[in-house]
Amino acid sequence: MRKVLLIALLVFVVSLFAAKYGGTLRFLIGVDATTLLGPNIPDSISNIVASHILEGLIDVDENLRIIPCLAEQWEIQEGGTAYVFYLRKGVKFHDGEDFNAYAVKKHFDYVLNSSLRNVGMFKGIVKEVQVLNDYTVKFKLFQPYTPILYRLATSSAAWILSPKAIEKYGNDPATFGRNPVGTGPFIFKEWKVGEKIELVKNPNYWQQGLPYLDGITFSVVSEDVSRVTQVRAADADIMYNPPPALIPALEQDSRLVVKTIPTVRVIYIGINSRTTPLNDVRVRQALNYAIDREKLCKVIMRDMARPSDSPLSSITYGYVSTGLYPYDPQKAKQLLKEAGYNGLKLELITPKGRYLNDYETAVALQGMFKEIGVTLDVKPMEWGTYVAKILSNKPEDWDYQLFLLGWAPGTAEGHWVLFPLFHSINQMGNPQGTARYNNFFYSNPKVDELIDKIGTELDEKRLMDYYAQAQKMILQDAPALFLYEMKIATVMRKEVKDLKIYPTERFNMTYTWIDK
Amino acid sequence: MIKFISRRLLLLIPVIIGVSIISFSIMHMIPGDPARIIAGEGATKQDIEAIRSKYGLDKPLIEQYFRFMKGILTNDLRSIKTERPILKEISPRFLNTVQLAMVSILISSIIGISLGIISAVKRNTWVDNFAMFFSLIGVSMPIFWLGILLIIIFAVILSWLPSGGKGGIEHIILPAITLGLATSAIIARMTRASMLEVLSQDYVRTAKAFGLPKRKVVYKYVLRNALIPIVTVIGLQFGYLLGGAVLTESVFGWPGLGRYVVDSIFNRDYIAVQVGIMVIAMSFVLVNLVVDIFYALIDPRLRRG
Repeated sequence: MRKVLLIALLVFVVSLFAAKYGGTLRFLIGVDATTLLGPNIPDSISNIVASHILEGLIDVDENLRIIPCLAEQWEIQEGGTAYVFYLRKGVKFHDGEDFNAYAVKKHFDYVLNSSLRNVGMFKGIVKEVQVLNDYTVKFKLFQPYTPILYRLATSSAAWILSPKAIEKYGNDPATFGRNPVGTGPFIFKEWKVGEKIELVKNPNYWQQGLPYLDGITFSVVSEDVSRVTQVRAADADIMYNPPPALIPALEQDSRLVVKTIPTVRVIYIGINSRTTPLNDVRVRQALNYAIDREKLCKVIMRDMARPSDSPLSSITYGYVSTGLYPYDPQKAKQLLKEAGYNGLKLELITPKGRYLNDYETAVALQGMFKEIGVTLDVKPMEWGTYVAKILSNKPEDWDYQLFLLGWAPGTAEGHWVLFPLFHSINQMGNPQGTARYNNFFYSNPKVDELIDKIGTELDEKRLMDYYAQAQKMILQDAPALFLYEMKIATVMRKEVKDLKIYPTERFNMTYTWIDK
Repeated sequence: MIKFISRRLLLLIPVIIGVSIISFSIMHMIPGDPARIIAGEGATKQDIEAIRSKYGLDKPLIEQYFRFMKGILTNDLRSIKTERPILKEISPRFLNTVQLAMVSILISSIIGISLGIISAVKRNTWVDNFAMFFSLIGVSMPIFWLGILLIIIFAVILSWLPSGGKGGIEHIILPAITLGLATSAIIARMTRASMLEVLSQDYVRTAKAFGLPKRKVVYKYVLRNALIPIVTVIGLQFGYLLGGAVLTESVFGWPGLGRYVVDSIFNRDYIAVQVGIMVIAMSFVLVNLVVDIFYALIDPRLRRG
């Protein structure tokens, strides 16, 4: 009797387990992917697709913590100028090639010697990759650079490509982009331009028993309402970024699950601190005190955002709360009075439709500023024209006062926020700038020094201390009004289980299964 | 007839040059730095400069135009976004649009011509009023709204048809109806007007007076003579549909040419937009040519013109 029960139990467990397997997940995307060649990917959708085919030495988890992937362990040596990786054994590329130290070297030699789109993530930072033995590689850096681990974990340029494929397609990125060969849980099958991309399960994946799905189909449906309707009609399983107005209705639908998580994107109003009266720090602080961020998130963003008190979102590595600026219109008025301004008039330029409710936010600020006696003129602009203006290197374009923008560090760490935006070397027009996004014309030598230290400090405690100081100083100087960090909503059918969603707008379907 | 066709073909050359100049210049009139947009939000200064020189965006306009024309003639133009040959990207999407346009024009011709005939024959009766009311709705209904409405009824609620995408024949039904409805209304109105004009002609009255059956008069004499303006309208509408029914393609996720051009505009994929517009303009010109030839076939008098 006991034996029968045991067998019954075993059968039950096995069937339960087996039930997880099979099925093709239908994922809707708004625009087609661009290329699946990691080092050349310019957009987040291509990234989502390619991340299922290609893998790097290390990875991040849903909380953006660094985890092993193709490398099992690593060590930092030579005062932070060398990183040694111990590779996983027995891993094969989709074309049957072995994954080993030579493959890693071949990949990074290819990246560092090419002019593909994302190679700047490593060029000038990584000097060379050395093979120590079959399963050990050493990355030599020009100088210590602490964000390197985050870059290796998040950048698509670090996803190792098959050496055979590099030989075959290396000189033709366009063709390579349609024939990606990696070690990932899914294998590229077919790409019908503008229509769909199909991936199939990698039967020899190194993570035993994974993935559960037979495949994933990414279909292109450009209209967001249509994407929602397709999921509702069971013609698709997942879509993300639904129109916020539809979210309450979708949450009511018992066949669907709506999951909302914060992202690394912070939306802010940039201040051109070269123009009067905005060169007066009291005016900039006053504007900060005038904003009711809670209300913005609730009313305008319909809870698709949370109030911000730093240029870093609360999940970006290095974030420390600054506690600034509470909503205090009285203080704002008083600061303006001290600065000697009465009946101030300002102009805010903003994109319309680039970010969720961007223009609506700008208009809401108009109302909030009115309460402290500041008249705000809101001027929406078409995205292309807008970007050309606020990121222009021509001095005649630098006449703007306030501008609305968002920044999301794909590397998930704070250096890629602080350095491009707030280091004075990256001020617009400065020929020495390597990532010129400082269109606030912000300059504080102490902050520069802190940002430089953040780039090289290996001790985590000191590093976090520099991060904290930098964020507090920047907030005090108020080169911008940090408004809120965006959230991302994903709508899926309730049969879809264990889908991992990252704050960097990445979706991981390695563990996903369909409950039939 | 051969002389007529070859003369029309020769006339195409200046049209093609004109179209190429216009489609080339349109994208350059739009403000915004393409290199900056292509490079993306996190790109460094060097990336942007590299893109600019790679695509010759730093060269004078005239030089860029000749590069463009040479690229078209040698089929060597590559999309800025995907770096693939553009014609390779466009051709499957153009075929999708042709497919959708053909089914739509078929549906709308059947609905439109039948409605028009009924209306004309039963002029000023309730049948006529109803048909014309229907066509008025068809013309004035926003495509976007109609598409979503059809999806909600037939896909979400009834689950009869797929809500979008491209697959079997069932996938084309809803987008084709959405797209065809407005066109069918236009065709119905034109058919009615044209039929009424012919019906009032002397020979029709004579034919009736001779005691020919009404049905035979309508189909054999009236319809045939009323056909020229109807064919014109159908031809023109087909041209428009080929231009890519952007909204319908967006709502139903139909991977067609119109959507491709719009996406390319947003990506500032200059070269793809230019080629896309060329393809649309050329197909429009060719459809018109075919319509003209068709005219000449049914009405020999036009061959001289």
